[in-house]
Amino acid sequence: MWTRGVRINHPSIAASVLEENAAAVMAPPFTPYTFIQCPCSDSSTFNRRSPPSTPTTHHHHSDNDDNDDDDDDEHPFDPRAPRSNYSLYPLEYLLYCEDCHQIRCPRCVAEEIVTYYCPSCLFEVPSSNLKSEGNRCTRSCFQCPVCIGPLSVTSLESHPDPNTLPVPDNPSAAPHGGPYILICSHCAWSSTEVGIQFDKPNSIHAQLAKLRNGGNPRMTAKERKERRKDLAQSLGSSYSSSSASGYTGYFADELDLDLDLETQFSNLKLFYQSQLANANTGGVGSGSSASGSGAGGAFGDLGFTSPTSLSRILNIYTSASSQDKKAKSRIGTMREALDSDEGLKIANLDESEAIAKLHAEGHPGTVSTSQLLNQTPQLHLGEPHLHGRSRFASELRPIPYLLRTKRSKRCPICRHIISKPEAKVLTTRFRIRLVAGSYIPSITIRPLSLPNASTPDPSALRPSKPAQFVLTFKNPIFEPVKITLATPALTPGRFPSKVTVLCPQFDIDANTDVWDEVLKDGDKRRKKGESMDSASGAGGVGGGQHQHQPAAGKIWERGRNWVSIVVEVVPASLRKPSQDEMPVLKEDEDLLEIPMFVRIEWETDAMGDEVGAVSGKDRDLPKLKRELAYWCVLGLGRVSDQG
Amino acid sequence: MSRRPPRGEYIETDTGNKVARKATLVGTQNIMLGGKTVIMPEAMIRGDLVRTLQPSPSSSGAAPNNTAVAIGRYCFLSRGCCLRPPGRLYKGLFTYMPLRLGDHVFVGPGSVVQAATVGNYVHIGAKVAIGEFAIIKDYVRILDDTVVPPNMVIPSFSIVAGQPARVIGEVPEGGHEAFELRELYKTVGNNPQPAPV
Amino acid sequence: MAAPSSSKRHSILPPAQAGPKPPVQFSSSITIADSAILIGTHPITISTESVIHPRAQLNSLGGRITIGRRCIVHERSTVGAVGTEGGRGAGGTAEQSGVTLGDYVTVEVGASIETGDTVVGEGTNIGVGSKIGGGAVVGKHCTLTPYTVVAAGDVIPDYTVIYSNGLRRQDRRGVAELRNKGQARQIEVLKRMIPSSPAKFQ
Repeated sequence: MWTRGVRINHPSIAASVLEENAAAVMAPPFTPYTFIQCPCSDSSTFNRRSPPSTPTTHHHHSDNDDNDDDDDDEHPFDPRAPRSNYSLYPLEYLLYCEDCHQIRCPRCVAEEIVTYYCPSCLFEVPSSNLKSEGNRCTRSCFQCPVCIGPLSVTSLESHPDPNTLPVPDNPSAAPHGGPYILICSHCAWSSTEVGIQFDKPNSIHAQLAKLRNGGNPRMTAKERKERRKDLAQSLGSSYSSSSASGYTGYFADELDLDLDLETQFSNLKLFYQSQLANANTGGVGSGSSASGSGAGGAFGDLGFTSPTSLSRILNIYTSASSQDKKAKSRIGTMREALDSDEGLKIANLDESEAIAKLHAEGHPGTVSTSQLLNQTPQLHLGEPHLHGRSRFASELRPIPYLLRTKRSKRCPICRHIISKPEAKVLTTRFRIRLVAGSYIPSITIRPLSLPNASTPDPSALRPSKPAQFVLTFKNPIFEPVKITLATPALTPGRFPSKVTVLCPQFDIDANTDVWDEVLKDGDKRRKKGESMDSASGAGGVGGGQHQHQPAAGKIWERGRNWVSIVVEVVPASLRKPSQDEMPVLKEDEDLLEIPMFVRIEWETDAMGDEVGAVSGKDRDLPKLKRELAYWCVLGLGRVSDQG
Repeated sequence: MSRRPPRGEYIETDTGNKVARKATLVGTQNIMLGGKTVIMPEAMIRGDLVRTLQPSPSSSGAAPNNTAVAIGRYCFLSRGCCLRPPGRLYKGLFTYMPLRLGDHVFVGPGSVVQAATVGNYVHIGAKVAIGEFAIIKDYVRILDDTVVPPNMVIPSFSIVAGQPARVIGEVPEGGHEAFELRELYKTVGNNPQPAPV
Repeated sequence: MAAPSSSKRHSILPPAQAGPKPPVQFSSSITIADSAILIGTHPITISTESVIHPRAQLNSLGGRITIGRRCIVHERSTVGAVGTEGGRGAGGTAEQSGVTLGDYVTVEVGASIETGDTVVGEGTNIGVGSKIGGGAVVGKHCTLTPYTVVAAGDVIPDYTVIYSNGLRRQDRRGVAELRNKGQARQIEVLKRMIPSSPAKFQ
């Protein structure tokens, strides 16, 4: 995971949900990190196969603000630039296109969904169901509306210990008869709190769709549609004048309930359509003189009550078959809806009930913003209007699990697939998985502590005190590579720290076969026994046995497919020399981050275009030179403010 | 069982398990170790909480399977963690059920695991509480201080955090290798090897 | 491949008895594991059918420990921990109450209840790794989710659920009876599983 909070919240990766309780943790001790810049962030290099030219080493621009300038490759990359947050990734998050020979990041790849599945019951959902059923699990998997924990189905009558309840969809585990309820195993929320219980322990989703909070039945979208159809049929021919009493009886039971949004809309639509039909067949509707004149007074110019604009509006908001186009020229007015059967909903301005409830239940009775946001909009289908009211905990409904996906990824340039998981939900294998870690060297950082160094905590960076870090480059490919590094002499920002790479150019041996490793490793270990042992000390803290000192141009350590070099930094003082006062630090300004340009060169067989392919035995083939270059950022630590 | 170095900090078994002498294993006859598993000092495993109700009486021809805790290969149980089988009422009677850990499972210091199953390549951070009968699939990373509620199912490639736990991210394609615990295994024991570069 | 780690040794339990041996009052029906740790100077009372798991610690240095009927104290939990602020440490009088657990209380793995007239009401479940400060009064039938912290001297009303890092709500499930019944079932099983050795502590 990332250390810098900014990047944890990266929109494309952290699936949006670091909430108050998850985020409220103490800052962990600093661990050095390496982030790599995806070329997609720079439009000048994005389409280019050859890497950008290397900036000169120890080249510093006092003005870093203009490094958005695409033409100028000479600018060192500024990790503090606002845009950098969107282009820097840890190596594990990066993919690699073998055809473009370029790094690809989660932001630039094109994703394609392979499988939809429920993260709770792990059942695959066919994509055809998605259109009809929505993007949530329609079995019995729900999340708690209060704390987001999983809900379990349990028998109301004799469930013994809610903490040890059977998992849903396990009929044998619920031997008792109904009724059944949903219970949260974390916060002890129960669906009885909102007056909901079920007759069957399975297909809770379908049962819930038919229940309002409190237990009253509610119409599902499908039923509503059917009812509307019936209504249209029964009225279609007989509906002549706008006498509402004709079908009041039809809805008698509905009138008792609050008119919900969907019913209101369908009623209103039906009413207007019949009005239009009337207007078209029998001239101006019989009721037009009654209310039309009143409305016409207010909106006369806009003609809201004229059949023409009405049919236009209906066409905008519904996909219903368009009304008679000849009616366009017709001028006239129609009456408005008069009661709830025609879609009239009188705003309920009496909030005394809500106020009384607030008095009674207080703050705990209301919902928090996150609880409200977790509620699914579909769940409010058929519920009374929520607009302009306080939300009470008793209005919360169980949240069906959002489906999760397995996705394949394509290179944005050449459209080749660079990652493709197996379609089955329960397998974790990938058909294709071209990760950057198999192509470009990994860079690990640890503070270097020498026997004579007296710093008690090497991870604390003190202003103006030189600190040394060991960078270890590990080569994953089967060819030896040549690495060239470049950093600006001073880090960008208000507090420039001095940076010196002691050995900016070196070769790393090939990543040989695993068995070679086993055979050779023993020898190497024995040869370099001492330094290897010290290297193993946690973070190099215990490395007190080094016989050599870091020197310019010298590699610090070397292994089978890795090389360590030393970087020296002189952290900036966080005070301006002219000021005695500490300037107000902006976020992460005390963070010492070094932009570093890495250039990798290697030779590969012309035939085997793939970088990762084991070098062929055929020596006749000409070798092909390859190179890859990218910016990365080394996060070394935080500069302490004393000194 | 050969105890090679007479007084090492660890007991190293023939199958390569490294069990700290200061680990607390109760009911060892019911704890199955797949091999190459490291149990650090002060880790605790409750092997004594065996299943009391056998699954199907019809197939009781063989000896009853009394495994309470089954652990795969290359697992790493850090200092102070605790593995215990989950228990629940089943048809009016209380019974414990076996706890199964796959291969390459890392359990962080101070964490308490009462899951039903933990898959392969799972990293459980420090001070994590995994509730009873949770099911954790493969390649899951559980961050420090997470509380996984009972019965929760965590699908593969999830990064999980919070109280209660929720999925906060996906394990990236390049992050699979980081779950591998072979190298960590070598760094512990009576003859610890240095960590590779 | 699958081999028990050690066939000879039935359990690897390093000895960890330290401190003075407290006077105890055990009901004859309790189950107390051999490796439970009882230390302190004040009396420790354990009532009917309660279960003390291996490596659970009861510490009466700061006052008398009273455990009600059908309680379960899980491994590695500490009842009567000497707290950082509310605790009195050693040296109180015999009448001083350290911790009182009502009936049907469950103290989960690694939870710690500090001493100093701390009371936990009937049927309350103290989650894994939770910490209750000295002098706190936790009501009846509460549920403390894992790693809950109750400050010293805090009063938690009956039927409170503390979840998600300290949020509180009322338990309206009405399952107190059933929970107690479940606890009784669990104790029946634990009695058979945990070899009890009350004599060791008497």
